[in-house]
Amino acid sequence: MIEQYTIATTPKYNFPQPATDTTLPQRLIELSIHSLRHAKNQPIQLNQQTLQQFNNLEAQTQSLQINPQPITLKPKREETIVAAVDTSSIKIGETSTGMLIAVRGANVWKQKRNYRYVRLGPFVFHITEENKREVYNALQRAYLDSPHEQNHQNSPNLQQMPTRMANLLERWLQSTLSKTISNGLILFDGSLTSGTADTPTRLMKEILDTARKRGNVVLAFSKMTNLRFNGHLITDVLLGHEPPYLLATAGLKTKPPIVLLGDVYVARLTNGNYAFRLDIDKEVSTEQKIGAAEKLLGNDLLTQSYPETLRLAHILCTFTANEVIAMQHFIAHTYGLKIINRPDMHRLLFGPFGKGESS
Amino acid sequence: MKLYKKEGNIVQILSFPNETVEKGDYLLIDDADAGKALIVQVIDVQFASIPGILEELLRSLPDGGDSMQGEDFDPLEIAPHITYIQDASLLVCKIRATVENDSLTPSSSWLPSRSQSTIRKLPIPTLLKLGKIDGKLPIVLGGTKDSSLLTIDALSLDGRLNIITGKKETGKSHLSKLLILNMIGYKATVVVFDLNGEYLSLGMTADGKRNAHHDKIHVLTPSQNFKVALKQLNLHVLLEILIHALHLPGTSAREFRRIWQSLKERDMLNLHELGEAIRNWHCNQHVRDALFSRYYALVNSGFFTDNVAEAIILEERLSKAKEQGGAIIINLQNTSPIDRQIVVEYLLGKLVELLTDWKLKAIFLFAEEAHLYLRETYWDDIVTRMRHFGIFTTFITNQPDTIRENIYRQADNIFLFNFTNEHDLEVVSRAARVDAETVKSIARDLPPHHCLVLGKVVKDFPMVVKVKALDVKTMGETRLFFKDTN
Repeated sequence: MIEQYTIATTPKYNFPQPATDTTLPQRLIELSIHSLRHAKNQPIQLNQQTLQQFNNLEAQTQSLQINPQPITLKPKREETIVAAVDTSSIKIGETSTGMLIAVRGANVWKQKRNYRYVRLGPFVFHITEENKREVYNALQRAYLDSPHEQNHQNSPNLQQMPTRMANLLERWLQSTLSKTISNGLILFDGSLTSGTADTPTRLMKEILDTARKRGNVVLAFSKMTNLRFNGHLITDVLLGHEPPYLLATAGLKTKPPIVLLGDVYVARLTNGNYAFRLDIDKEVSTEQKIGAAEKLLGNDLLTQSYPETLRLAHILCTFTANEVIAMQHFIAHTYGLKIINRPDMHRLLFGPFGKGESS
Repeated sequence: MKLYKKEGNIVQILSFPNETVEKGDYLLIDDADAGKALIVQVIDVQFASIPGILEELLRSLPDGGDSMQGEDFDPLEIAPHITYIQDASLLVCKIRATVENDSLTPSSSWLPSRSQSTIRKLPIPTLLKLGKIDGKLPIVLGGTKDSSLLTIDALSLDGRLNIITGKKETGKSHLSKLLILNMIGYKATVVVFDLNGEYLSLGMTADGKRNAHHDKIHVLTPSQNFKVALKQLNLHVLLEILIHALHLPGTSAREFRRIWQSLKERDMLNLHELGEAIRNWHCNQHVRDALFSRYYALVNSGFFTDNVAEAIILEERLSKAKEQGGAIIINLQNTSPIDRQIVVEYLLGKLVELLTDWKLKAIFLFAEEAHLYLRETYWDDIVTRMRHFGIFTTFITNQPDTIRENIYRQADNIFLFNFTNEHDLEVVSRAARVDAETVKSIARDLPPHHCLVLGKVVKDFPMVVKVKALDVKTMGETRLFFKDTN
C-alpha cells in the first residue's frame, strides 16, 4: 500500500496547496519500492566511494563582459516570503547488477522571521543497466508528460543516474514552489540555463512563467561558475565598491539546445570577498530584478553573500554518513540485502602505499 | 549486541537502542566454536562514535538554537533507522572471568570471535550460581537490578578486613546494622564503636518494640554502665592509655611503672592510693606534675572505679555473647575525644588479652569513623597483628581518605556506596581487590541505599545491590532546626 502524499497547509501561504501535482513523489515511491524488491537478497558492497552529487549545469568555460558600474542595492524590508529549493543524491552501495542510490530534496521558506521546511525523501533506488531506462523514463513521463522530449534524449549512463534522478526531483520541487508561492522570491541552486537532458527548456519556461504570473521572481545562485571576464572568473572580479551591489553582465552566448532563461549578474551582497553568479528571470523588468535582490537583502539573512534560506535547503537535503549507514541498515533489514566488504584493490596490491579507491 | 574491540581486559561492545544494558550489568560473550565464554561487566555506557553525527545535530538546530519547524515526507520510513543508528551505544566492559566447561577461571588471555560470538545479558542468579556465591551461612544483602536476591556467605566475612564507605546518608550504617544482626544470628561476637549512638536501638523494631535480637544487644556507655577498676587493668594497657591517649612522656611513664608495681605488691591498686602514691613519690617535680595531670584525666573521665562489682559488666557481656552470640555496643556518643581514646585503648587491649587467653574465640569489630579515636599506630596493628588474635574489623566511614592506603590494599571486602567526589573515588580505587575504572565509573552513579559490593564476598564479581530494609528503630538521625516545617 502506497501512502498518499498530502502536505498540511500553512495558514497564510497555502504551502504547498492540495491541488499541487503529486505525481512525481508517488512515482518515486512506487519505483523506489519496485526497484528495491528486485534487488532482494543480493549482496551489496559498501567500500565504494559514497560521493554526494549536486547539480552543476555549467560545464564549459565561457567569456562575457561585465559592466563595471555597480548596481548599488538598498535592503527593502517590506515583508516578502523567501523560498529555496535544493536536492542531493548519493550512491550508497553496489550490487552485482547495479547500484543503490538515494535522492532527497528540500523546500525551505522564510516567513515572519522563521524558517520552515518540507523535506522529501530519502528515496532509495536500485538502478541497474536493465531498469535504468525504465526508471528514468517513468519518472520523466510522470513529470514531464512529454513523450517527444523523452524520445530524443539519450538514456543516462549508470554513473549519471543519481544526479539525473535528483534533478528530476529538483524540477518538481521548483515547480511546486512556483505554483504555491505568491509575491515572493524563489531561490534556485545553480543557474537558469535550460536545454539539458533533465532541464528541458519547455519545463523551465513553464516554471518561470508560473512563478511570474503569481508575482514571484526567481533568482538562481551558482556556487561555482566557469564564466570569465578578461580571463578571470567573474566572481573574482571584485571592484572597490562597498557591497551590497550587483554587476550586470552581457555577451554570454549559448549554443543550441542550451538556452539562457535568466540575466546573469555578479552578486556581492555582504562584506568579504565572496561573490556569486546570480541569474534572475530574464522576463521580469530590470526594476523588478533589482527590487528582488533588494527584497532578498531585506528579508533573508545573508552571510558570505549567500542567502540563508538556500543554505538551509542545501543542509537539509545533504546526506550525512549516519544517514548513509541508516539507509544501508534499512535496505539490509527490509529487503534482505547482505552487506559485504569488497577488498580494496589498491590496499590489497600496494599495502600501506595504496591510498584506496577514493583517492 | 556486537563485539567491537578488546584492549587488555577491557572489551567494547556495540549495543543498539532495543537492547537495554546499564552500568553494572553482566554480559556473557559466548563463542560456541571455541567452547568458551567471557563474563564481562559493563562499567560505562557511552554514545557510539557514529560518523556524521555532528552534522546531524548541527542540522537540527539551525534556526537561532531552536529546532526548525518543518515536515519530513519519508515514505520509506528511514527516519527510525537513522535514530536507531544515532542512539547506538558503546558498552565499555571489564572482563571478569572465562567460563569453560561450567567452571570459572579469571583468565582473559583469549579472544572471542567478533563475527561469531553471541552476546547476551547474564542474569545475576546465573552468575551467582556460576560463581558459587551462596554458602552455608547466608546473609541476604538485598535485591539486585534484575530483582534477584544477593546472598553472601557469613564465612566470607570471617577473618576478613572490610570497609563500608560512601558519602553521607547513602546507607552505610544501615548495611553495617544488617551485617551485625546477621552475624549475631549466627552466634558471632560483635563489638561496635558507636560514635553517634546509631546502634543503640538495634534490639528494637521500628515501632519501638523488642525484636528477636533484643537480648543479644548490649549497650555499654563509658562512665555509666561501663567502668574499669584499676585492679582489673594490666599495667601495659594503662601505660598504652597514658602514653598514647594522654601523651605521657617516657621518663614519667617509667616512674609510673614503679608506682604501679609498688601499689600492686601491696595490693593497694585503687584510685585513691594511686593519687596518694604520686603525691608522696620521690621524684622530680616536673615528673610528679606530669603524673598528676594524667591521674586527674583518668579520674575525671569517670571511666575508672574502685568498685570491682561495677566493673565486671564487659567481661560478663562478652562471655554471654560468646555463648549465644551478641553485639556489644560501645556508646561513644557523648564522650570527649580524650575519653574516647581512653575507652578504645582499654577495650582493644582488653580484647587482645581475652583473645590471647582463649577466653574469646574471635570477635567482629565494627568501627565507625575510626580516625576519631584510633591512634595512628593502631591501624597497622588492627589489620595485621590483631587479625591473628581474632579481631576482624569492619571500618565504616564517609571520609575514605581518613583510612590509610595500606588498609585499602589489604581490605578483603569493600561495600561502596555513592561518591561523587573524584578524590574520594581515587582513594577507594587503591583497594587491591578492585580496578580503579570499576570503582570510579559505577560508584559515581549509585543511587542512595545501593551499594557496590567488591571482594571475596562476591568472589570478585563486583555487584550492585539495593540494601534491604531493616525493621530496626532508627537512631542517630541528624537533629534539625526546621524539622516541624518539613
